[in-house]
Amino acid sequence: MKILVIEDEQGLRENITSYLNVDGNICESCSTLTMSLQKLSDYDYDCVLLDIGLPDGEGFGVLEYLSIKQKTEAVLIISARNSLDDKLKGLNIGADDYLTKPFHLAELKARLMAVYRRKAFNTSNKLVFNEISVDMQGRTVEINQTPIILTRKEYDMLLYFMANKGKVISKNAIAEHLWGDEMDMYDSFDFIYTHIKNLRRKILEVGGRDYLTSIYGMGYKFTD
Amino acid sequence: MKLSQHYTRTSVYATLTVLVIGAVIYYFAINYIGTQQLDRALQQQLTEAEEYIRSNDGNPQLYDLDRDHAVFVKTNRQLLLKRFFDTTYFNPKEQRSEAGRAVEDLVKQKDSNYKVVITVSRAGQKNLIELISIITLALLAGLLAVLFVINKYMLNGLWKPFQLTLNEIKQFNIADVNQFKGKPSKVDEFTELNGAIREMSLRVTHDYLNLKQFTENASHEMMTPLAVVTTKLDTLIQDETLSAEQLGQIAGIYSSVNKSSRLNQSLLLLAKLENKLVTEEEPISLETVIETKILQFQELIEKKELTIRHTLYPRQIVASKYLVDILLNNFFSNAIRHNLPGGFIIIDLNFDQLSIKNTGAANTLNGQQIFERFQKGKDSQGAGLGLTLVKNICQLYGYTIQYEYETGWHKFVVTF
Repeated sequence: MKILVIEDEQGLRENITSYLNVDGNICESCSTLTMSLQKLSDYDYDCVLLDIGLPDGEGFGVLEYLSIKQKTEAVLIISARNSLDDKLKGLNIGADDYLTKPFHLAELKARLMAVYRRKAFNTSNKLVFNEISVDMQGRTVEINQTPIILTRKEYDMLLYFMANKGKVISKNAIAEHLWGDEMDMYDSFDFIYTHIKNLRRKILEVGGRDYLTSIYGMGYKFTD
Repeated sequence: MKLSQHYTRTSVYATLTVLVIGAVIYYFAINYIGTQQLDRALQQQLTEAEEYIRSNDGNPQLYDLDRDHAVFVKTNRQLLLKRFFDTTYFNPKEQRSEAGRAVEDLVKQKDSNYKVVITVSRAGQKNLIELISIITLALLAGLLAVLFVINKYMLNGLWKPFQLTLNEIKQFNIADVNQFKGKPSKVDEFTELNGAIREMSLRVTHDYLNLKQFTENASHEMMTPLAVVTTKLDTLIQDETLSAEQLGQIAGIYSSVNKSSRLNQSLLLLAKLENKLVTEEEPISLETVIETKILQFQELIEKKELTIRHTLYPRQIVASKYLVDILLNNFFSNAIRHNLPGGFIIIDLNFDQLSIKNTGAANTLNGQQIFERFQKGKDSQGAGLGLTLVKNICQLYGYTIQYEYETGWHKFVVTF
């Protein structure tokens, strides 16, 4: 997957790029509107990560450019503005999703994968990892062709882990992914443990392998 | 009191005062002139009487100027100062007493001295004063009537442009695209007023836009460093050589960053609410939203073994979905967090109000303080802005929010 990160904050840009540069992804980055338009006209990408507030203009310009050139890049906006106006405007002129700063890299990757899959495989697609196969459309999971029944939270969690495989995901990131702002972190950590326990049990019951490693006091890692 | 009434009152007082003082001066002046004239007439009669007495030797008592109005009394006094004085006058025609004016003097006839007193009626003069008084009063009444009419009809007409301007100001909404225009007026003052208001409204709108810009910029400036910290932590924890203790420290940083980003979001939202910057509105069925919320909080409710009961009648409101979400999230998380294990939550929704009550600590909270910024309970994990947001959201939509405590039950009531 080829990704272009358009973000003016250097620290953020570097971390995003290094986090995404795995599994054969090619991640490029730039920090201004002019440079991003240059890159988009020279190359084709699968996904674009777009910060709205750029030093030389609003990131909406990128969306307009893409729509004029009829390019098919999936666009995920990352913005510090939690304003509904901006969100609606972005989604109306061609963005596929909108993520508000601050965010966890795991969340960013999961969203990016989701918008990419939606665009590239036209929603009917299966996500396969060894013996685990997830039907994105039907929201069903099979282990070695044996279907298992997951709750909504368990299903969301599994997808989240699969999108970030090989990475340590903090409990904060998981909590924010599953509950958003509605719950205090403190409350949700216990629930994460319960959901992980159940998910692990359900996979093991039908002969799946245990890919989940617990990182003491910090979070979890889904890895081979 | 209206300005025209103030004006009428002042002008009436001024007019009345001037006229009353004028009338008094007028009265004394006329009286004085009248008396002067009477005295001159008396002097003339006195001179005539003296001449008569000097030229005739007869008994002065026989001299009658105008039927008994001259009285001669023989006296031994050698000296008597001539004086004019007010007295009563007996009118023989009318057979009644009238106000009169008299002169007294000493007249000599050969050896004997006579005191002479001549009296005349003042009735004529009194009639004149009466007539003048009546005319003055009539003038006064007429003037007052004219003043009233002018103030009532003319002044109201004059103030019409002011009323129009006032109405336009009342309808002025800072978030509107419509600017203040002001109807053109022939009166300089009103034209100037309209001009000043127009300028002010432009300035205010400009400031408002600036503020909106500032709110967004502040959000951007604060959120980006927080995003950098979060992503750097996310990268840092990938390091497999980190010890448990180091991971523990990082977990602490995570939760602090999370707190400050939530605090920042709440503060920005508060600023938006206070400046009425949230303008998106849509019809929302509260009963549906509440049912969804109950499902959302199901895990927490079950964990604390709470029982939730609700009676929800359909109630549609027009509000921002985002704000209603924040409102209910705060109510729910408070009702759950501050509940007792195995406690109850009771939600009632009808057309007039939404009430959420929960069992909790057996002491009442300060009904005023709990809605203030950064006021939080002992075991609260938040920043203490939740109920402030609730209050401000209610204010934005003109709802009232009340807190009540009743033997172990904490109750929040939103009245639409």
